[in-house]
Amino acid sequence: MFLQSKFFIAFISRLFGSGAKKDLETQIDRKGESLEIKNLSSSIATGEPVVTMKGIIIRFGEVTANNNVNFELRKGEIHALLGENGAGKTTLMSILYGLYQPQAGEIIVKGHKTSMKSPNDAMTLGIAMVHQHSLLTPPHSVTENIIVGLKESRGLFLNISTAEKKIIQLSEKYGLKIDPKAIVGDLAVGEQQRVEIIKALYRDVDILILDEPTSMLTPQEEKALFSTLQSMVRQGLSIIFITHKLHEVMEVSNRVTILRGGMVVGTVNTSETSETELARMMVGRPVIENIAHKVSSNSPVVLHLKNVSALNNAKVMFLKELSLELRKSEILGIAGVDGNGQAELAEVIAGLRKVQKGEIIMDGKPITTLSPRKIRELGLAYVPQDRLETGLILEYSIAENLILDRWYFEKYSGRVFLKNDEIKNFAKKAVSEFEIKTPGINVPVNSLSGGNLQKVLMARELARNPKVLVVHNPTRGIDIGATHYIHEQLIKQRDAGVGVLMISLDLDEILTVADRIAVMYEGKIMAVMDAKDADVDYIGLLMGGKPSAVYSKKNEEEQNK
Amino acid sequence: MSLVTTFSQIPKKMRDVRTYVPFASASLAFVVGAVILDSTDIDVGRAYTIMFRGAFGSIFGIGDVLVKTISLVLTGLAVSVAFKCRQWNIGAEGQLYMGALGGTLVGISLVGAVPGLAIFLVLLLSFAFGSLFALVPAILKVKFGVNEVISTVLLNFVAILFISYLLHGPLKAPGFNPYSPEIHEASEMPIVLPGTRLHAGIFVAVAATVGVYYLWKTKIGFEIKSVGANNNAARYAGMNITKSTLVTFVISGGLAGLAGGLLVSGVQHFLIEGISPGYGFIAVIIALLGRQHPIGVAVVAFFFSVLMTGSETMYRSLSIPTAFAMTLQALVLVFVLVGQLFIIWLNKRQTRRLDQKEKWLAK
Repeated sequence: MFLQSKFFIAFISRLFGSGAKKDLETQIDRKGESLEIKNLSSSIATGEPVVTMKGIIIRFGEVTANNNVNFELRKGEIHALLGENGAGKTTLMSILYGLYQPQAGEIIVKGHKTSMKSPNDAMTLGIAMVHQHSLLTPPHSVTENIIVGLKESRGLFLNISTAEKKIIQLSEKYGLKIDPKAIVGDLAVGEQQRVEIIKALYRDVDILILDEPTSMLTPQEEKALFSTLQSMVRQGLSIIFITHKLHEVMEVSNRVTILRGGMVVGTVNTSETSETELARMMVGRPVIENIAHKVSSNSPVVLHLKNVSALNNAKVMFLKELSLELRKSEILGIAGVDGNGQAELAEVIAGLRKVQKGEIIMDGKPITTLSPRKIRELGLAYVPQDRLETGLILEYSIAENLILDRWYFEKYSGRVFLKNDEIKNFAKKAVSEFEIKTPGINVPVNSLSGGNLQKVLMARELARNPKVLVVHNPTRGIDIGATHYIHEQLIKQRDAGVGVLMISLDLDEILTVADRIAVMYEGKIMAVMDAKDADVDYIGLLMGGKPSAVYSKKNEEEQNK
Repeated sequence: MSLVTTFSQIPKKMRDVRTYVPFASASLAFVVGAVILDSTDIDVGRAYTIMFRGAFGSIFGIGDVLVKTISLVLTGLAVSVAFKCRQWNIGAEGQLYMGALGGTLVGISLVGAVPGLAIFLVLLLSFAFGSLFALVPAILKVKFGVNEVISTVLLNFVAILFISYLLHGPLKAPGFNPYSPEIHEASEMPIVLPGTRLHAGIFVAVAATVGVYYLWKTKIGFEIKSVGANNNAARYAGMNITKSTLVTFVISGGLAGLAGGLLVSGVQHFLIEGISPGYGFIAVIIALLGRQHPIGVAVVAFFFSVLMTGSETMYRSLSIPTAFAMTLQALVLVFVLVGQLFIIWLNKRQTRRLDQKEKWLAK
């Protein structure tokens, strides 16, 4: 039985393997341009492979997170793993770290075929992962955090001084300055990250996975980290560096593997590539044709953000004097990599986040300091990205969710009681109008699929007859049918005169639906352009935060004029 | 074959094990209680019989059960309303004492002698005193973010000791005991079942149950409920979280205050220390077991009242300490909560099996 299943997996992987490869080839052919994919074997980096992942396939429900991924890490190299959100970078590394088990494919570590069931297995093979967010306990000292869970710390008494000595040795060897006696909670984010790295080194690992290590760092800390990484590889470690920032890839890596949509686009030597090429490989070309772009530069501005600054949840200034104009009858797409202030932007407009500086004007009226309810009454509709958290109440029925923002309207309630019949009629109408698939209007919405949940939310928001509609990742995690339906609704709203602000991580979606495109990077709008003459390479560079590229592009444009 | 068809004809809910779990849990509590009794050389059968007879054996017993039910329903509803808004009001006991004070102040003053008006004012003031006292933790939370669990728990002691101070000082009636003066007869709740202590407060309790049932169908009720279910979504939809919190505490504290006022005007007729044997704390258990539904709260309150009344009889005739009743209550809580876990486990197993089936079919 067991053998059979093993055989089965091998068979499947071979089947899918060749199929997927063909797919990739035809995709590139179709583009008809010189998007060269460099072969793994023709690369120049020296050192024998320490990790080889072959034909990795993993699915979560209907989503294929990794589809026939091949990846190779060589001894003594920094290997960048580049891709947009949802490209499958973190998933792939979680497999290598034993957090997920792939449905197919094999992993070879230092010449031995292995299957990892847990991070402990990975650790014994010398693999460690430093996560995006610190997993240390703040009230404890650096040393305590580093030795926690180790065999030598399991006795009755801790041998702190020996551990401290070893930590100092390590920190000197790799240039990771740290005080072993310091309390972790008092350390800056960059220092905490050093502790995480030392924690891994303390366990004698020689393969280190860093998941977007610079996302919380200041530029100075970033520099320090990079030089540490360089010294670590000189000492014989191998490092995998997950990122979506182009300049980091260019600065620190020896080779780079680009993932897109769960598949490998290619592996190239950093010295033989350019940011433009990487951006193109990362973003790809839109497969779907643009639906209908209208450019209406003369219609009035319905939403105007003037130099708006706002803090994120960690109280860091995350929107930096952002300015933006949304016009009537247009869909303005906000492109960008996740975590560049998109959520903050949406919440600032909806009145859910305080504006520190600047002004927001909707339909001629200042809304900067108004409550969410007032702003909505003035004509805003907002479909938040976390429909389960902010959009809907899961244990409520469709009917209750639909009146969540209008329970006090005269139509739906008297002086004291809610008007049940009116509410039911409204719900029935919404269900049939938006083709919501549900056993009834009184079932809790947590039994609905993601697409239908989004339809409930859209139904509620669009029923307000808004002047401005803000949607954030409107089709994330939703099947193709519902996605198409939601796009149609957005275009219908646009044609009816609504100004639609569509914030999305899915660049294809923006290229398909939006009339104008703005690119957001680190809390600022990098550039705004008409969708019909948008250049994907250019957008990719902007998303990766290449201001130099912006200038050169602008110059180019000016010269053309 | 015929057996199978008959089995499948039974409604689905009746066939589901999950329907019976709470009952089985409560019964198990009694089994464990029996073991405890048995270990102290008490005839378990006789003890439980006497308990049952104490509660239902006489008209007086039934009356007493209902009198206790009044207090438990009102405090249980008080806690339920708060929990429904995710406000963990553990201060029903203190709010009850303040309500009792409000009722007493009306009862011993001049207006307390005016028939009709007196009863109305007793109810009004006990509600108001409970509400105002509950507003203290509410405002602390809204203004300064003080955790309401801690503030309500601690304010219980403030209220109880404040009443003690009054009874030993300004409010003390002439005589040796720390009692307040007796309230005027016009302020006393009339007895509705002759030969028992059952007073008109039972109608207040019924009205409160119906009121809370309909509260969730009102505008403000919908707002409170939504804030409790997901305050992110509620805030975004334009609901006022501060207002909901304050209103919740006003209603919650008021209901607990009513329970206190009725203890004075319906049962004791003057204010004493320890006028409540911890109704406000038992209320937390009742709200949990009744799943914050008014009907559920009423049923559980009645059940707990039977336990309390019965155990008093057990104490009188078998000198089993009343602490045993508390033990039983705690056991019921523990077993019902474990029962909930069991149901969750059953649900998980069911979905897992369905998943496996799907996977198998997909192959």
